[in-house]
Amino acid sequence: MTKYIILSAALFSIGTFGVLARRNILIIIMSIELMLNGVNIALIAFARQYADTTGQVFVLMVMGVAAAEVAVGLALLIAMFRNKKTVDTGDLTMLKE
Amino acid sequence: METNIVFIVCAVVSVVSAILVVTRRNPVYSALFLMLCFVAFAVLFLNLNAYFIAAMHMMVYTGAILVLFLFVIMLLNLKKEELGKEYGFGNKLLLSFLCMLLFTILAALVYGVGFAPAKSLPSRFGSIEAVGNAMFSDFVLPFELLSVLIIVAMIGGIILAKRKL
Repeated sequence: MTKYIILSAALFSIGTFGVLARRNILIIIMSIELMLNGVNIALIAFARQYADTTGQVFVLMVMGVAAAEVAVGLALLIAMFRNKKTVDTGDLTMLKE
Repeated sequence: METNIVFIVCAVVSVVSAILVVTRRNPVYSALFLMLCFVAFAVLFLNLNAYFIAAMHMMVYTGAILVLFLFVIMLLNLKKEELGKEYGFGNKLLLSFLCMLLFTILAALVYGVGFAPAKSLPSRFGSIEAVGNAMFSDFVLPFELLSVLIIVAMIGGIILAKRKL
């Protein structure tokens, strides 16, 4: 049990690093997926631990939210690339101008 | 639960490929390592008696989301100079230390709590039947709200990516 939660913490931390340290939006969205999956591992492990299906239903909900998030995120990315020809978050300063 | 060798192999594969996802410069490599990571996750889910979730994970993540990622990467067809700058080495080192600190805190908390031994499972735990029963009895409202969310995301995605409204 403990080892699964530790693995989940490790993946969450790696995802956090990806979100903070990268400037390519594609990789930031992938890192968010990694974080969500780290949480999924923890939920499944707790569902197994307490023999309760609720955790598994939650994981299905998280998957739905992740799919919605990726669809909207990639649509935003395409709209942004069409206007600015970049995927670098450092170049996205339109609101400041 | 105690199939140790499967866990060790999958944990190593998923952590290594996750690190490669966040460090590769080329997004295609990142997406392919992300796929490897998701496959390792699916095996871990099987190992935790979540059979239906493992199948859904393969279908939704490796089947749909990864294909969407690869499709967008190929569609953008990024040149090397369009990838943009990255932060310097010093910043990355500092951030990696911060994330290791986060991991250490989480791991210390988990060790500190400690868990009771696992309960014995009902016979059909993790099957489509069990998950479906829970989903369509106790969690009907969240399930319906989720479908509304996905419709909203679908329409939003189409409108955002459309050239002209």
